[in-house]
Amino acid sequence: MGKYTLKRVITALFTLLAILLVLFILMQLMPGSPFNDEKLNADQRAALYTKYGLDQPVTVQFFKYVGNMLRGDLGVSYNISKNTPISQLIKTRLPISISIGGYAVLIGAVLGLLLGLVAALKHNTIWDSLATVISVIGVSVPSYVFALALSYNFGFKLGWFPMLFSPNDIFKSSVLPSISLSMFTMASIARFTRSEMLEVLGSDYMLLAESKGISGFALIFRHALRNALIPIITVLAPLIVDLMTGSLVVEKIFAIPGVGSLLVNAIQSNDYNVVISLSFIYSAMYIIIMLVVDILYGIIDPRIRLAKKGGD
Amino acid sequence: MSGKNAAATVNGTVSYTPVDADFKWKNNAKEIGIDENFASQGFWKDVFVRYFKKVSAVIGLALIVVITVFAIIGPQMNEFSYSTQYLDQKNFAPRIAALERFGIFDGSESMKTTTGSMKINYYEEKGLNDLYYWFGSDNFGRDIWTRTWSGARVSLIIAVAAALIDMIIGMSYGLISGYFGGKTDMIMQRILEIANGIPRLVIVTLLLLVLEPGMLTIIFALMLTEWVGMSRIARAEMLKLKEQEFVLASRTLGAGSFFIIFKEVLPNIIGPIITQVMFSIPTAIFTEAFLSFVGLGIPVPQCSLGSLISEGFNSFTTHPYQIIPPIVVMALLMLSFNLVADGLREALDPKFKEM
Repeated sequence: MGKYTLKRVITALFTLLAILLVLFILMQLMPGSPFNDEKLNADQRAALYTKYGLDQPVTVQFFKYVGNMLRGDLGVSYNISKNTPISQLIKTRLPISISIGGYAVLIGAVLGLLLGLVAALKHNTIWDSLATVISVIGVSVPSYVFALALSYNFGFKLGWFPMLFSPNDIFKSSVLPSISLSMFTMASIARFTRSEMLEVLGSDYMLLAESKGISGFALIFRHALRNALIPIITVLAPLIVDLMTGSLVVEKIFAIPGVGSLLVNAIQSNDYNVVISLSFIYSAMYIIIMLVVDILYGIIDPRIRLAKKGGD
Repeated sequence: MSGKNAAATVNGTVSYTPVDADFKWKNNAKEIGIDENFASQGFWKDVFVRYFKKVSAVIGLALIVVITVFAIIGPQMNEFSYSTQYLDQKNFAPRIAALERFGIFDGSESMKTTTGSMKINYYEEKGLNDLYYWFGSDNFGRDIWTRTWSGARVSLIIAVAAALIDMIIGMSYGLISGYFGGKTDMIMQRILEIANGIPRLVIVTLLLLVLEPGMLTIIFALMLTEWVGMSRIARAEMLKLKEQEFVLASRTLGAGSFFIIFKEVLPNIIGPIITQVMFSIPTAIFTEAFLSFVGLGIPVPQCSLGSLISEGFNSFTTHPYQIIPPIVVMALLMLSFNLVADGLREALDPKFKEM
């Protein structure tokens, strides 16, 4: 276990380094230098160059850049709000994005489990077909289509929820974005739960449990669902990562002041420094989630650990 | 023992002298029963039958065919082109000749004003009674019908091209990595893990910032992101097959690695690969739409489904008909590719556990 964890941590670190290298190369390729501001005189420019180490060889610059990034010094924004440190821009936005993503995972996981359970327990009935149709649509229709539909119907026409995010009513304005983001998670979990439950329900130990006289609630939740849950956890990680990307457009649609809409704004206003910093943050989040989940699998299910060791 | 070549009985033993007629070809094709119940069927025929048994897969296929046909002929079906702007014909609501009698698609739309909502019809207001914009016209007076289908065409070309290139790269990478194993595999898999560790959207976004936007750039960017999944599948299949007898036989006969990989193993894993290609097409459509939405997509006046959605988004509360066609076409495309991929997966591999 220790060896496996160590190996995964080292791979993750290398990935992070590779990403930093790619980002660094892109920085060099980007048109225009951050310090070509005409208001700066030669001394100021030299001072800035020394501060960011731009007067040193490229390799030294790279390591300095890595050090700055890892310490959280992401540089300053050029276009969106001039000379504001990017870390400051992000600080207020990250919690909003994370909370909406969190609601989405929660809604998606709970509804998905229920839908999958119903489909499996009422196998080959109209309920099963209905759940299948819902999950196919949820998997294949992109989240921002749901976002637009919800915002038009419930935000604009009915006026139940605010169409655009308002800081005065954070809970109400999180409802529509969270629901539209949760559709994909819900659908994938429903599909997975259904197939896992069908397999578990047909197993010998379920027959045993039933013949012991256990029935109803306890049978389904204590015996069946518990065994079906482990594989379901394995699909959650990629879904959380998908949420990150889905949130970009959804945040833009609902004008949520989160990290996703910051990235979209930065792309649209050519604020390369912000784009690159956010790319770094997204990558780091992605790598950390994948790392944690991979290690968790090993703890939850020894078979995965052994299989990875053998099949590597 | 009868007939004209009657056997002669000599001293109690039967002796028989064969004649030429005995060696005649006995044409008994009719007597040999062909076992129709258990007759072996070709693999592809089997796949075909299984695929068409699934209703959702057939619906998906039909939708793809219909959308593709419209993407090819749709833009030529009326007199408008995708880029011509008639600035005096902005924001016309949909109007279809056959349906306007029934009060729908008659070119009128309700506008919210300070005194409540009112119905206006730009066609009548401007006296353009012979003009029909089937899906309406956009903010610059361009026909949405033409633009939707030419957008669908661009999106389809990008998605299919990216998926095919992905297939070639990912497949070769996975097959080579799996076949050679050992150190080669180790190094190739570490590279893959690092490539997989970078979020796809980040790669695509950054690439498009550096490169000139356009169809080829988008295909290139999509190509860089989707090959990982394909190569995983190809490698896993290769690991399963490379120890089998037919590979050993081929090697014994002196076949080289290249021949074994591409001529012996590849035809045997074509099923999972086709399925994966079908799954990567909707992903590519989605990614392209995302890029267009944030402004990194196809440059104007060309359009894709994504750029149409992003244009329609700007006025979707006042003129909702502008965003509906591209969104519906895109949702249907992604849905039908997923349905077809699901159907293919089950048809090609009946033992596969549905998930």
